[in-house]
Amino acid sequence: MNSILPGTPRSPGAESRRNWSRVLGLAALALVAVPAHADPAVGIIAPLANGMSPGADRARPLDVEWPAPKHTPTGQLFKIPFAVPDIRKAASGWDYSGQLEFGLIGGDADEQAARFRTYEDIDNGAFLNNFSLHLRRPKSGYTVDISGGGAGRNDQYYGLQIGRVNQWKVKLYYSETPHLFTNRYKSLWSGIGTSQLTLLPGLTPGGTASTATDNVDVATIAGQNVQTIRLIRKRSGVRVDMDLTKTWKGYVSYALENRQGARPFAAVWGNNPGTAPMEIAEPVDYDTHDILAGLLHSAGLNAFNLRFSASLFRNQISTLTFQEPYRIVPPAGITTVPATGAYTEGRYDLAPSNNAYNVRAEYTRAMPDFYKGYITAVVSAGSWRQDDSLIPYSTTPISLANVTLLPGGSWDSVTALSRRKTDAVVDTRLADLTLSLNPTSNLNVKGKARFYETDNDTDPFLSVNPNAVYADADPAAAGNQTRGLTLDGVTGVWGRPLNDGSGQSILFGTNTNLAGNIPLKSDIYSSKQHKYGTTADYRLTKTSSVNAAVDRETTRRTNREREKTWDDRAKLGYVNRGLGISTLRVSYEAGRRRGDEYMPTSYDDSFSSALASVPSTPGANVATWVRMNSGFRSYDLADRNQYIINARVDTMLRPDLGVGVSGQRRKAEYPNSRYGRTGDSLRSVNLDLSYQPNARRSAYAFYAYQLGRFGQANIASANGALQIGGTTALGVVTPENAVAIGSSPGGPIYPLINEWTAASRDRNHVVGAGLKQDFGKVSLNVDYSFSMGRTRIDYTYTVGGAINAANATRAGTRMPDLATDTSYLDASLRIPLTDRLSARLVYRYQKEAIRDWHFENVDQTPIVPGANAGALPTALLLDGGPDDYRVNWYGVMLHIKL
Amino acid sequence: MKHPRTFSTLRLGVAAGVLATAALMASVAVKPATPALTAPAAPIDNGGAVYVGEAVCIACHATPNKQFTHTQHAEIFRQNPKNELQQRSCEACHGPGSNHLKDPTNPANRSSLVGFTREWGTPVEKQNSMCLQCHTGGPAMFWAGSTHATNQLGCSDCHNPMAKISETGLLKKPTINETCSTCHQQQRAEFAKRSHMPLPEGKVSCADCHNPHGSTTRALIKADSVNELCINCHTEKRGPFLWEHAPVRDNCLNCHNAHGSNHDKLLNVARPFSCQQCHGNGGHQTPLFNAGQLLGAGGAPNVRVLGRSCQECHTQVHGSNHPAGARLQR
Repeated sequence: MNSILPGTPRSPGAESRRNWSRVLGLAALALVAVPAHADPAVGIIAPLANGMSPGADRARPLDVEWPAPKHTPTGQLFKIPFAVPDIRKAASGWDYSGQLEFGLIGGDADEQAARFRTYEDIDNGAFLNNFSLHLRRPKSGYTVDISGGGAGRNDQYYGLQIGRVNQWKVKLYYSETPHLFTNRYKSLWSGIGTSQLTLLPGLTPGGTASTATDNVDVATIAGQNVQTIRLIRKRSGVRVDMDLTKTWKGYVSYALENRQGARPFAAVWGNNPGTAPMEIAEPVDYDTHDILAGLLHSAGLNAFNLRFSASLFRNQISTLTFQEPYRIVPPAGITTVPATGAYTEGRYDLAPSNNAYNVRAEYTRAMPDFYKGYITAVVSAGSWRQDDSLIPYSTTPISLANVTLLPGGSWDSVTALSRRKTDAVVDTRLADLTLSLNPTSNLNVKGKARFYETDNDTDPFLSVNPNAVYADADPAAAGNQTRGLTLDGVTGVWGRPLNDGSGQSILFGTNTNLAGNIPLKSDIYSSKQHKYGTTADYRLTKTSSVNAAVDRETTRRTNREREKTWDDRAKLGYVNRGLGISTLRVSYEAGRRRGDEYMPTSYDDSFSSALASVPSTPGANVATWVRMNSGFRSYDLADRNQYIINARVDTMLRPDLGVGVSGQRRKAEYPNSRYGRTGDSLRSVNLDLSYQPNARRSAYAFYAYQLGRFGQANIASANGALQIGGTTALGVVTPENAVAIGSSPGGPIYPLINEWTAASRDRNHVVGAGLKQDFGKVSLNVDYSFSMGRTRIDYTYTVGGAINAANATRAGTRMPDLATDTSYLDASLRIPLTDRLSARLVYRYQKEAIRDWHFENVDQTPIVPGANAGALPTALLLDGGPDDYRVNWYGVMLHIKL
Repeated sequence: MKHPRTFSTLRLGVAAGVLATAALMASVAVKPATPALTAPAAPIDNGGAVYVGEAVCIACHATPNKQFTHTQHAEIFRQNPKNELQQRSCEACHGPGSNHLKDPTNPANRSSLVGFTREWGTPVEKQNSMCLQCHTGGPAMFWAGSTHATNQLGCSDCHNPMAKISETGLLKKPTINETCSTCHQQQRAEFAKRSHMPLPEGKVSCADCHNPHGSTTRALIKADSVNELCINCHTEKRGPFLWEHAPVRDNCLNCHNAHGSNHDKLLNVARPFSCQQCHGNGGHQTPLFNAGQLLGAGGAPNVRVLGRSCQECHTQVHGSNHPAGARLQR
């Protein structure tokens, strides 16, 4: 029998057979999609911790026997290790150690403010804070590790790992993460978190004949049903790692992530800009199955990784149907069945289930005899697929002026669609090659080439009803026509009813006038990136080096304003680790993006302008053929000049005191963007102090400052007519120049007097400090931090232009500041009671004050009034938004060493 | 319009197969004694020293050994070494120790052993080469040339192999996040902002998104693109959707800051100003929304500055699968 104990050789043949059987076994596991967990280099780590973990960690005693702390190569203090665990030996040959901490929490820990509980779940009462158990069988190398915490809470976590050292391991884990969005949601519905939102008793689907009555009813019900909107992310998984041979390793993993609950959402009615949008709650019941399998090889000059991953997303709730509480009148040209009060409900098509696959191979070969070089090659191919069944355009049976429905053409039926399934596919491909050479002992140069592609293979969705015909498609032709218009080989009535039939965007829909801005088909976005570059790293001295990099990335996109852009980048860096007690790292990077012609008309093929060119009839209003202010640039495509400076110094002021200072200056300008984002920048300064004289005392402090700016400019559209034959400041409008005149700044649609600018400035201060001090056997730990965030938005405009004189008084020159101040104090006093039992007295103080103008007065006025008493409200803002909180809680924890 | 394909999936599959075959052939052809990738051509011998065995080391370094005993390294070296190097235990990392024994306390003799602290003074390249004897390939495939390598980080700038301070990974701090933030303080400050990933709450780690050992993608992202990374967790936003939003398909960071923000939903800029940095079309997209339109400001309240702003109507901003969802409203 072959022993697997260390030091006992096996026969090569048996080893080989065993290894290949492992390879095949692992491959078989992968084929049957055996569960796994993420690799450190890929996928989700899912750390097993929660908001209580840092405090528990910091309270652990340190190793008083540890020699004086040393520094990392950069010069930062190494943390003194925790006290050596007490190892117990069992007669069975297993060694074990473990601990358990539990206790009681009292005070304000049951505070329900959303901001307090966003990602944590703390409550008053008994509490199992954390536990761990480690078993070792040194003779055979078998290990078992168990850990967990937050038992019974929505941020609980558990892990179990078993294995044999250096041979195999199996890890199972489970972790929950709460995400609480709001605790001030005034629900009008039952069924939150399900596919059906039914109005609560007291409200009438479709409203009553009186908006005033509906308002009263809505206000009454809203005030009675304040709810919390949240979801819980539950992730569980298993991963198997195995050394297949001395040079090959393999792993398979499976994780199931379930997200359940609801999140804030909203629904709008009618045409753009919409009628009475109301805040509803989107149900969330997602399952994501993550499967990973991989092989890792490293031997001699070669290293190779092969990985397969699959992510299968399943939304258990594919649509959301909601009732609405107001009487919404059909717009002109639409009739409903019944004639009034037909809009009782609407329906969303929620996130579609989808699959994603990826296979990736990475290979490196060292070439010690060729300038001590190496070559690295990576290829990766992925595919995202989604084929959900589509739902009808409208939930309400409607008829449109000028449109005759043929059998199967009812807008509330899927037979009115151009296709029944999404059939969407996006493929991704990557090829990456690096050649590294060392021409001299002090110089390393690399050449890099990279190709990345996102190829959307989806056919455009045609917004057409193939089972409908126009009653009169051509106003110039006498009499009704009984055929539709043809685009991309499909004939029918083009456009679609909006928002469950309460609005419409139909070519020739409500009248016989043409329009150029009706979406007829979806845009398919694909992109290709080619990147080439070189880097050089030159060692100046034993402790200093300079590095440089230049590269160009060319991106080609489909259906965007720019087909091609190229980003040039140059970077220079300097590192010096030999500045006495300091280490300096500094770099400067300059970037420049340019591209081919910017075409605001690039979307024309997807609009009704593709079916109808600009009318030539004198007096015709052709404003809808104007797509965009021609001076406007989308910042992700615009010309850009950017530089980034990074600097960092670490200094050992004393053997037990270290300081780190770092900063960043980043600035981007968009030289050709007269409108759109005109610039952005960031300044950041950070200071860290770390003091650690011994295991009984340590302290730290930090401060960070950031100032971020964004600038933008725009012209408020005059929404004026652009009439053929009309005279404008830019000339007489003709069919040929109409779009150019209409889109030009200074034209009738974008008059220069309507220009405005806005400057957003984010300013943040974060300060923190902590102390660990032992007083004999008792030890104190204190951690404090304060974070202050301010965003100031200033704007400029011409009174009488973008804002008229009456409104300018109220508008002023800026928005109120967005402000968030958060304080956090965690203190604990650890008191040993026996060798194995200690108590920990915990005090936590958390306070947050938040001001957000989006929610100013919203909680008090959820029904934003309309233009007059009889009008529908402007909006139903049922989410009261974030709220201040101030929490003090106390805890007594008992800590037991097993 | 679609671009013609430069690399078909089939071609990439063939390329992957070729790489796999090359690796297999290379692994068969390679001799066991061949030095490890990126390791020095000759084993580090610390000036001609010979191995003395860990018992000799422990005789003086008993205290560090108490900690070291509980590390994964110690378990591997002592319970199930796979090769001669791992059997060396202490000297697997520090090199042969006989010269160190000749004058162990003399600072001038520090070149007789590889040390991993600033005080000891071993060049970082030499330190790292000791680690790379074993830690080649796998997640460290792209270490050479990575941002961290270019900045001359030593492995022990993040790791402390001598003590089990972290549950996994032998980090110098108890968690990944604490380890990273010893240098990346700017990012730590971003996680303290109003909206942030649940990193301070312990539910996300830096290594969920970044591979500190190197990547072929900028910012050490452990995916082929930003979007491929984000949708690992945000799978419901993967689509592909019937109606897509171009900058969403292109790069999540067009609108979001991945770490934290002063604004809701980790947005770079407050809504509606955020949306208006791209949307300069006519109609309701271009007005200057202002303080006079807030609730209680005295003017006519405007829903585009209240609550979820533009997303009060355009709820499906990441893409819509509704046939009537061209404006991302259903």
